[in-house]
Amino acid sequence: MSGEFVIRGARVLDPATGLDGELDVRVTGGRISEVGPGLSGVRELDAAGLHLFPGFVDVHAHWRTPGREDEETIESGSAAAAAGGFTSVVMMPNTEPVIDSPALVSGLLRRVERESRVRAYVAAALHEGLRGERLTEMQLLREAGAFAVSDDGLGTASAGVLRNGMLYARSAGLPVILHCEDHTLATGAVHDGAVAALAGVPGSPASAEDVATATALVLAAETGARVHITHVSTALSAALVGWFKDRNPNITGDTTPHHLTLTDELVGTLDGMYRVNPPLRPEEDRLLVGEALADGTLDFVATDHAPHAPEEKELPLQEASPGFLGHETAFAALYTELVLEGRLPLARLVQAMSCAPGRWIGEQGRIEPGAPADLVLVDLSEEWEVRPGELLSRSRNTPYLGRRLTGRITGTFVGGEMVHDRMGAKLGL
Amino acid sequence: MSNRHLLSLENVSREELRSVLELAREVAAGSFERPLSGKTVFLAFFEPSTRTAASFELAARRAGADVISISTRGSSLEKGESLVDTVVTLDRLGADVLVVRHGAAGAAALAARHTGAAVINAGDGRGQHPTQALLDLYALSAALGGFGGLAGRKAAIIGDILHSRVARSVIPAFRAAGMEVALVAPPTLLPQEPVWEAAVLESVDAALEWGAEVLYTLRLQRERMAGALIPSVQEYAARYGVQRRHLLPGVRVMHPGPVNRGVEIAGDVVLDEASLIPDQVAAGIHVRAAVLMQALGVGLEVAA
Repeated sequence: MSGEFVIRGARVLDPATGLDGELDVRVTGGRISEVGPGLSGVRELDAAGLHLFPGFVDVHAHWRTPGREDEETIESGSAAAAAGGFTSVVMMPNTEPVIDSPALVSGLLRRVERESRVRAYVAAALHEGLRGERLTEMQLLREAGAFAVSDDGLGTASAGVLRNGMLYARSAGLPVILHCEDHTLATGAVHDGAVAALAGVPGSPASAEDVATATALVLAAETGARVHITHVSTALSAALVGWFKDRNPNITGDTTPHHLTLTDELVGTLDGMYRVNPPLRPEEDRLLVGEALADGTLDFVATDHAPHAPEEKELPLQEASPGFLGHETAFAALYTELVLEGRLPLARLVQAMSCAPGRWIGEQGRIEPGAPADLVLVDLSEEWEVRPGELLSRSRNTPYLGRRLTGRITGTFVGGEMVHDRMGAKLGL
Repeated sequence: MSNRHLLSLENVSREELRSVLELAREVAAGSFERPLSGKTVFLAFFEPSTRTAASFELAARRAGADVISISTRGSSLEKGESLVDTVVTLDRLGADVLVVRHGAAGAAALAARHTGAAVINAGDGRGQHPTQALLDLYALSAALGGFGGLAGRKAAIIGDILHSRVARSVIPAFRAAGMEVALVAPPTLLPQEPVWEAAVLESVDAALEWGAEVLYTLRLQRERMAGALIPSVQEYAARYGVQRRHLLPGVRVMHPGPVNRGVEIAGDVVLDEASLIPDQVAAGIHVRAAVLMQALGVGLEVAA
């Protein structure tokens, strides 16, 4: 439906296919039809000076629909995603009600069809109501269109319950996305480190994540389930993921932009804005998790985009709801803090935001003839300030508020349609 | 301009301490006639407190202020109205000072961001309890021959440091006054990481060997007395309780109250002459009046 056009003169970078150079990309009928120098067409988009990557893929987002549409809707969440260069997003099931039945999955997918600017996939609950007791009807959930199962937000059930969940998810052909948190250890609101101790904020030790991660990985190896460990935030959990991945190709892991760029120093502000789960960690963890992302121990980045109403954040730190916005700042935060600091090559960042998660969810994350025209144009030279009024999310809880970042998304294409446009492209699409 | 919040003593200076304690002494000496006349002080207590509330109320009334107490049970969320909404309401009612007690660290700082009134932290979660530490220093300096007499003294902070807002104010305040501080607590009641770079000692006996002249004991909350943090009151009292045999010449015993007799301090020691506990309570009124005056910029020329 979007006809044909050529994106001209961008610096095309796609580690999946090895493309790296000033090239033109022809899009026909929503797919990439040709990549090369000197292409021309009836409709052309001059992208000289910009970078063109495969669209970013976010396997962890909360669009709060149904139930908390005051915080985010499919429309606003997908607009925020598009503004951040994301072309595919996985929605987590901890909504009100929890997405734990086939009818809820198909209903949500119908709304996505109408309301989302980007591709959106549904992760359904692993257990009914996320309660860690009764398995969901995973065969039927998959037939209804669920893409994965997860008890995200509630942490891991007991090992015995989780093991059965993995066995069953494997038979249903669904990957399991795991938020690893041991509730007997995670009794606090922030990382239990020196900053929390001095400030007097109840902390949860790093072992709350590490113990649950170890349990999940052992069970994943034993059951053979396809298991993805999300938002890895400690050096030890990253190392554990690495050890098990080397022996089991079904295991993957991600970390978040905020765990790669922020530390528990922010606990000292006592500001409810900075509560997130897993909590921000000390600098040493931040650096080592960054190394794990750089060397591929952790496969990719996911944002854990978690909108919250002001009254859930304008509270003492330990009473605030955990979570940050993520879509709109992810690339710029990582480009500014990791790439420009020389700690992560740009190609690896593109691989971690596009190619690797794209391959994990399907055929996305590649620029080659036949692939969906899911693309992002980026101006790596633009500096911008994160301002509340300019966010497309319905919520404002970004930890980067007021920060100056470098690298801005100028255009996002999903299936050849321009779903975000800061360049006045006038493609007439 | 004249409004000065008192939220934390984490970075307090020796000079700031000296100045507020000097003002408190002037208050005690009767140098001021209703210095807060015409001012409105709200006591906003989001967590139950009788002693601190009474002390603040008495201090404010004696200083001539209009005092209004607002107390709520449970967290602000349970009540329905948020802390910020309550603070804005009190602000519009014309508060000059908000004295805030709350169950969460940072509550007083949050309040201060939403009002033009001066905010005094009367205890926030495990965070800070600055007026407690100030009145402790007042009582201690009175016993040791003045503020200058504090320098070089050794104080052992004993008990549940992990959960204590008093410890988080007392430790930096004692240090700013020139004192040396050691910590005495079981590992389950101490922060996991060394936060204050202080010696950690294993018992009151060890504290005395170290040379402690001040045994500052912290309250052990009832729900922590037996179970996963400490095995029993008996075992706790044996190592961390102050007994009569610990009252070496010159040793002073302190406690922020209320005392669990026979737990933190043996029953026959609580009101011994080595105990500064009654002095601490009495100091509270003068110190809190001084804090209210400083917050409103009243009487500063005297201390300067």
